[in-house]
This record gives sequence, structure tokens and C-alpha cells, in this order.
Amino acid sequence: MNCTNEFDVIVIGGGHAGTEAALASARMGKKTLLLTHSLETLGQMSCNPSIGGIGKGHLVKEIDALGGAMACATDDAGIQFRILNRSKGHAVRATRAQADRVLYRQAIRGRLENQTSLFLFQQAVDDFVIEGGRVTGVVTQLGLRYSARAVVLTTGTFLNGLVHVGESSYQAGRAGDPPALKLAQRLRDLKMGVGRLKTGTPPRIDGRSVDYSQLKSQPGDNPEPVFSFMSGPGNHPRQVPCWISSTNERTHDIIRDGITRSPLYNGAITATGPRYCPSIEDKITRFANKTSHQIFLEPEGLTTNEVYPNGISTSLPYDVQIDLVRSIAGLENAVLTRPGYAIEYDYFDPQGLNASLETKLIRGLFFAGQVNGTTGYEEAAAQGLLAGVNAALLASERDAWSPQRSEAYIGVLVDDLITRGVTEPYRMFTSRAEYRLQLREDNADLRLTEIGRRLGLVDDARWKCFERKREAVAREQERLKTTWVNPKIQEEVMRVIGDPIEREYSLFDLLRRHTVRYLDLMTLPGAGAPIVDDAVIEQVEIQAKYFGYIERQRDEIARQEQAETMHLPADIDYSLLRGLSIEAQQKLNKLKPETLGQASRISGITPATISLLLVHLKRGFRGIRQRSA
Amino acid sequence: MASADIIVAVATPPGRGGIGVVRISGLNLQSVFSEIYCGVVPPRYATLRNFVDCNGEALDRGIVLFFPAPYSYTGEDIIELQGHGGPAVLRSLVEECLRRGARVAQPGEFTKRAFLNDKIDLAQAEAVADLIDATTTKAVRCAQRTLRGEFSLAINVLVEELVQQRATIETILNFPEEDIEAQGDDGQYQAISSIEGRLEAVLRASQQGSLLREGAKVVLIGQPNVGKSSLMNRLAGDNVAIVTEIPGTTRDPIRLLLELEGVPIYVVDTAGLRTAQDAIEREGITRAWEEAEDADIAIIVMDCAQLGSEHQYLEEIVRRLPNTLPKLFVYNKVDLVGKAAVIDEEAPPTKIWLSAKTGAGVTLLKTALLEILGWNNVGEGAFMARARHLDAIRHAKNYLLSARENQGRLELVAEDLRRAHESLCNITGEHTADDLLGEIFSRFCIGK
Repeated sequence: MNCTNEFDVIVIGGGHAGTEAALASARMGKKTLLLTHSLETLGQMSCNPSIGGIGKGHLVKEIDALGGAMACATDDAGIQFRILNRSKGHAVRATRAQADRVLYRQAIRGRLENQTSLFLFQQAVDDFVIEGGRVTGVVTQLGLRYSARAVVLTTGTFLNGLVHVGESSYQAGRAGDPPALKLAQRLRDLKMGVGRLKTGTPPRIDGRSVDYSQLKSQPGDNPEPVFSFMSGPGNHPRQVPCWISSTNERTHDIIRDGITRSPLYNGAITATGPRYCPSIEDKITRFANKTSHQIFLEPEGLTTNEVYPNGISTSLPYDVQIDLVRSIAGLENAVLTRPGYAIEYDYFDPQGLNASLETKLIRGLFFAGQVNGTTGYEEAAAQGLLAGVNAALLASERDAWSPQRSEAYIGVLVDDLITRGVTEPYRMFTSRAEYRLQLREDNADLRLTEIGRRLGLVDDARWKCFERKREAVAREQERLKTTWVNPKIQEEVMRVIGDPIEREYSLFDLLRRHTVRYLDLMTLPGAGAPIVDDAVIEQVEIQAKYFGYIERQRDEIARQEQAETMHLPADIDYSLLRGLSIEAQQKLNKLKPETLGQASRISGITPATISLLLVHLKRGFRGIRQRSA
Repeated sequence: MASADIIVAVATPPGRGGIGVVRISGLNLQSVFSEIYCGVVPPRYATLRNFVDCNGEALDRGIVLFFPAPYSYTGEDIIELQGHGGPAVLRSLVEECLRRGARVAQPGEFTKRAFLNDKIDLAQAEAVADLIDATTTKAVRCAQRTLRGEFSLAINVLVEELVQQRATIETILNFPEEDIEAQGDDGQYQAISSIEGRLEAVLRASQQGSLLREGAKVVLIGQPNVGKSSLMNRLAGDNVAIVTEIPGTTRDPIRLLLELEGVPIYVVDTAGLRTAQDAIEREGITRAWEEAEDADIAIIVMDCAQLGSEHQYLEEIVRRLPNTLPKLFVYNKVDLVGKAAVIDEEAPPTKIWLSAKTGAGVTLLKTALLEILGWNNVGEGAFMARARHLDAIRHAKNYLLSARENQGRLELVAEDLRRAHESLCNITGEHTADDLLGEIFSRFCIGK
């Protein structure tokens, strides 16, 4: 037996999901193989050259807290950094960066190549080896066989990808790459629930043909924000601005004239696209009274002239694309470098997955990223990391792990996918999180580093750094809670707080007030010496501000967590359960939720159904299990 | 499994009774709830006490029973307040409990807790399961039926407005880079304040009883002399309406409170709907139509001896009644044509052949009424289901108040609005995060 063909974990695909999956599994000490059709495109950003944003930045910080690569790679490759919602509360602030595509690929590839226990190999995968309901390996295009205890599939839009530009269409994984047809057929044969989705990109422009004098510049923030808890602005390369222009009535006339030739409107595309990322033809049709739409011109990198015009994703014919771009201020003489296109692709119904991202149908087979119906690098990377962790845990015969909705956006993402499925490409928004006030970017490390350490994902350097911060925050909070301010110093209090106090208050109670700042508070006589670490001050301050709201949710979370620990056996036949509606029986039999908590979030499952399940759970589902235990 | 919640419900059957029992279950009950009955009572003794509200005003006088955990029906502390049975007294007792931190029990929740705390034998499990399921759906239907049309209309409008406000704020929070018209301005807080005010109005109205009532309302409609009043007398068991052979005798709607299996039902007998001869009678007919407007069910009575001539009137009557009003056709006087009393439930409306005079088929009518009203085997009254609704409104209102206090801190406002909306969803049904996104994308052009 050739031992170089034996692995603990195999990851298929080298995009954002695949790379995080492979890195996570290898960090946990598992012998991991990453198979990709092209080593050159590892860590490729196929759509716009940016990382983060509202909801997505939260995911990146969580990936970072779990030792993932995306945040550090973005810090190494980012050429413009901004904090969105800076004027609003911390829970809804998010970091966003423009990344240099080349630097980003290099940053990712460097991490992959230097990761111990990780092997990279360039071969497309055509088939799985499945024995007794369990995946045991894969077969590549050349017929090479590799065995593993777990396989993570992260093939993005490559399964039966179909690219549309105007009236022409061709099969592709993304523009310029071949699709994975054999693997797609194989997966369809396995009776996984398959659907079709659609997404699109704008044409790209040669920056030398842009008249920047007509455009508004949008520089990054100063000081420069960072993504990783381990980075500083010193990690960033040279910074450049983005540019803002907008469409006008003439642009809209051009689009209206050409719209019958758009595959979105002539019936060639049937799959559902995302509502939040409509093509420009969709925007002017659905919001016909809007006379102008913003366009952001995003630089693709420091060593290329290519520019990404964010906001005009389109699949109109190429000649219409040229005209519409040239109707925009500053782009009158634009030279296009690539046409915009729409792509339709297969995805698998994520309701067929467990919270670990393992398929319910085949043991050891994990799905992550766009194959699960999501969109976005960050959503893909988050799932990749989770699937990689669980593949490694399975290979070590350890229990699976998945964060709760109250712990991480990763938990919200996975739970939404597996309990509700998707009807359009799924993107993270903070409005999806019921515990938004505690799932913040600023405390992603406090929420997840310790778990990451236990799983074997967090190295010593990060752990030490984290422990120092956590202890400093706790120590200062304790000090604030036990230091009292007496109304006798009312004048000083008025100066700092603006209101008199009628009794003794702790510094912590005063800091909870909306307008009170930590450093001002420290000027009160007897307040003691302020701490100097800005990150610690920030954390102490934010936690005090949200304290009341988060306390209020504590009972709710505790109750919810109790439901999450109540496991529903996978072999229950719900149609034998007395008192359940037909709808509930069918849904529960289809989804086979792993816990009572998951069941409660399936649409159409009522609290009464949950009470019923609780009663049956208590009596061990006697008489209604498919096999006797 | 211990539960942090304290639950309260009326334990006696709906309607008026000799005594009414309010039951509370939870942990450490006496420390808070003994205020209602003026101080701690010893376990398992019947103690006579005054029941008072939070201002010390007397509500009722009755028996208090305290069963400490784990020696009680649910395995938790239980307090039973046995007062006088009127709905108003029971309502104020329940409200006192809610004010002190209890929440309205879900249908079957006491039994569920008993089961989960090993107080009920395993063999009873399925019965418990059945009970929970049956009571939940029916109680909800019940509550909806007994809340008048204006009530649910008002709530639906308010929820709709709340969703609009949430969509605007979530758009601002989630899409800061879009150039959209969404503004978190003063107008928005005025809108929130307006929703809050109207919720308050609904609550006030409900306390005055103008929008809410116990029981269901049934109107009897039909041509003169088909036997509506005889039917009503038969249902009531004594002579309430004047029954004569002269068409047009009933000029004012006559109301009668019936209890069918403990369920209060108002029956309203209307003037015969024929073309009236004099002003007084015309007035009576107008009132008859008004009564039909807010009824829960209409019984259209016909004389089966004269079916041929009644057909065109029947069509006219059905056309003028609200579409959504459930209807029951009664063919009276089967005794005159020698037909048996039967019921035909094949397709709506349900048709019943009976005789008000002999009483044949009247039981069929009673059963059909209870069935259509959703009162069969309900296990709890509309009162409790309705109390849950009012509790939800009260919570929503408090969250809206908090939202206004947080003006300018959008993420907190958003959280308050989310919770307010969640509360109201207990009345109007599920609304998901994805539904909210749908609202956002249909109103604002998103897509940088």
C-alpha cells in the first residue's frame, strides 16, 4: 500500500472554503491533502476584490479568532481599509478592505505551503469512494486514488457552471476555468438535493483609460484598521483610494434598449439570483424611478491597472456593456479588459447537512462554501473552517463542534442553512442575528479564542496575547465594580457625567451610562490610574455600554442552550408520532433535526410541536424508532 | 427540568361558575405573590383571605391554597386562588399575577410541567401530547374569533407599520454604503410613538370590554314566521322571545346568553328580513343587519314546508352577509313535512334539518355550533388565549417605549423594535429574518 496516498482528511477545492478547511484540519495535526484543479488559483478572489463589510467583517474576525487565515491574509494584501458604521454602535460596526488580488493569493498560498501536515496537489477530482454509507477516498481525473477518513467538498460554482454573456453561453467553473461536470453528475447520482442558483460580475476596466479627475475619491480610514487580532497597520502594503461615480439617464436608456438581449430577461437564465446584489438591468427595471445608481471603482491591486466597477454587475451582450460603461462620468473612454457575466451553478440543499456540515446521507463527507448555496468569500471561508475542524474531529473520532447562534455569526450562518435552506444565494447580514448586540467584531476573540485553543486551532503566540488581554479586561472590570464614587464630590461628578448623583455609584455603573467615557471617568478623584492598553479600554467600555441589554438576553440564551443540548435521535419516524400535524411530520422526517433547538427553528414547527417532542424525548421515543436501540 | 418562568392561568372552565380558580406555578412563589393575598399562608391549608391589587384595593375574597415544590401537581410551587367565578374578577387576578412577573401559561403547560417533573406516569404521555396539540390550535382560533374584527385589524395594521420601521432601520444598519433614502430621523420616532399610542388604546379598550367579550355571538336570520324565535326558545329552554303567528312580531333584536357545554354564547334573534310595512319594523330590520356585521356565526333559518318560495330570499340574504362570516342553514319544521332531523356537512355551509317545535335535531345544531366556533374540547377558555394576546401587546408597548428612549442609538432601537415585533408575532404569526430582508429589498435599491 502506498502510504503517500493515505490521509486523514482530503479537501477538494482551493478557494476560500477549501483553503481554510485544509489549514484548520492541518493545524489540528491531521495529515491533510488539498486537491485543486489549479495551484495557481489557490485563494483566488473571483468576484470583487474586497473582504469584509457589515456581517461579513464579523465572520472574518471570528475566523481569525479560530486561527484561520483570511484576516491575516487581508491585512497582508489590503490596499484600503475602512470601518463601516463608525458613527454607530460597536455591535454594528464592521471592517472592510480592498485587497490586492495578487498579494492575497500569495498570502494564502504562503500559509498553505508552510503549514505542517498539509499537502497540496494539482488534480481535479472526478469521483468519491464510498463504502457502506461512508466516504473513504477520492479518485482524480488521472485515475489516482487517495484514501481518507473524511472528505471536504468545496467546489464553489464549478459544479455544472454555465456562464452567460448576452445571448451566448458556455460551460465553465468561473470565467477562464473549466467546470467540474463529472463530479457534479456523481453527486446528482448520490441523490443529494440539487438546485440551481445564479450570480454575476461586472465587466473590468483598464485603469489607464479612466478619467479620475471627474470622480470623487474615497480614501481609507486613518489610522488604518486591521482585521486580525494579531496584526497592526504595519502589516499593510501601500494604501490607495477607491473612486465613486454614478450611472445616469443615458446609461439607463442604453440598458433599456438592450434588455431584451439580456439572458436574465429573455428566459435563458432560470436560476434565482441574490436580491441584495442585483444586476444593473434588474436595478433599473425594479427601481425605474431612480435616475442614478452609485458605482464604486475599486482598484484590483498595486501591480495591475485593472479596475472593478462595483455596482454594474451585468450579463448584457458585450457591445451593450461597452456602451453602458462609456456613458458613465469618468469612463467615457474606458477600455474593458473582461466582459461582465452571469453564472448559473449547482448547489446542494444545505438542509441535507448536520450542524458540523457533514452530509446526513454519507458519513465523513462534508460540504462547505458556495456548494451550500451561500455567496461571498467570508461565508465560504467560515464554513470551510468549520468543515475542516469537523473533518479533523471525525478523523480523530472526537465529537463534532459547531458554535451556537448566541456564540458566533458562524453559528447563525450554519443554523440558518441547515434549518431553513436557501432560496437565493445566502449572504450574512447582522439583521439575521437575534443576539447581534453580543456578536460584535470587537469581541470575536473573547467569544471564540478559548474554544479554538481547545480544538487545537490556536497557536501559542495568539493564545498568550489573548490571555493577557482577557485578564486585563477582567481585572479592570472588577476594579471598576468595586471602586465607589461618593455624591460628596458632586462638582467633579457634574463635570464628568453632566448629572448629579443621589447616592454612591460604582465606576462601572457610571460607565454604563451612554455618554460617559472611560478616560473622562478616570479623572474623578479616587478613580485610580487608568489602564493604558487601548484595546483593553475599548473592550471595558463597550461591555459596560451593552451590559443591560446583554443581561436581559441571558435567560433567553440559557433556555435556548438547553434546547440545543437535547438531541433528537436520527432514526425517529415522525409519522408514527401521535398528535403531530402532517406538515410537521413531513418536515421533521425530511430534515431530521439533530436537536430540539434546531427543530424549533424549522419554518412551520410550532411551540406546541416542540412541547410534544419534549414529551416524547422524555420517554425515549419508545416504539417510534426505526431500528430498535 | 426546572424552569425559570412562572406561569398563570384560570383553571376552571370558561364562562360563569360558582367559583373560579386562578393557578400559578413556578419556583419561590410566596415571596412575590403572597402580596396578592396579604401575606404568606401555610402549605396545604385552605386559608380565607382578601385578594388585593398593587394599590391594596380589594379585588375579591376567597380561599388560598399553597402547595410547595416538589409536592404539587407540577412539581413546582403552586398557588391556587379560589375566588368568585365572574370573568372580570378572574381577569383582574390574572393581571395582578402578570404584573408581578408571571406569564400566561401556554395551553397544556401545567400538565407538561407535571410530566417533565415526573409527576405524571409515562402511560399518560400521549394523552398529554394530544392535549397540548389540540388545545393550542383551537385556543388560538378561539381567541381570534372572540376578539372582534376591529381588534385584529388594528393589530395587523400596527404590525405592518412596525415592519416598515424595522426595515428602514435595518437598511441603515446593514447597508451604510448604499445611497438610499432611508433616514433614521425624527419622523421615525414619531411613527414609533404613534404605534405605541395605538397599542395603548387597544389595551385600554380591551379593559373597558368594548372590543372584547367572553363567548361568541350567533345571529338568527330568516324570513318572517320561519320559526327563528321558536328556535331560540328551544335553545334557551324557556320563553324568551315572543312567538306568535303574525309575521313581523320581533322588532328589536333579542339577546340571550346560552351556555353550551360551559361555553357562553350570545344568541341574537333578529326581526324577519322582509320588506317592512311600518317605520318601527324597518328600524328593526336595519338593526338585524348590523347585528350580522360583527357576529361570529349566522344561522339562516328557513321553513322547509315553503322551500320553493324561500329560495330567492335565501340568495339575497347570503349575498348581503359578510363573506367571511361562517353560515349555518337550518331547515325548520321538519315535523310538518314528515322528514327526519339530519345534518349535511358535505360542503359548507353546514345544513341541518330540525324542528324547533318538537326539539328534534336541536342537539345537532348545538354540536355544529360548537364545532364551527372551534370550542370543542378546547380545555381552556378564550379568556386565557386572549390574556396571552393582551400580555403580548403590553410587552410590545414597553419595548417601543424603550426604543424611543434610545433615540439616536440605532442598534439599540433596532433591538427594541425586534423584541416588540416578536411579541406581536405571538398574535399575528411567524415573521422571519428573511421576511424582513424581503421587505428591505423590495423598498430600497440595494446592490453596491
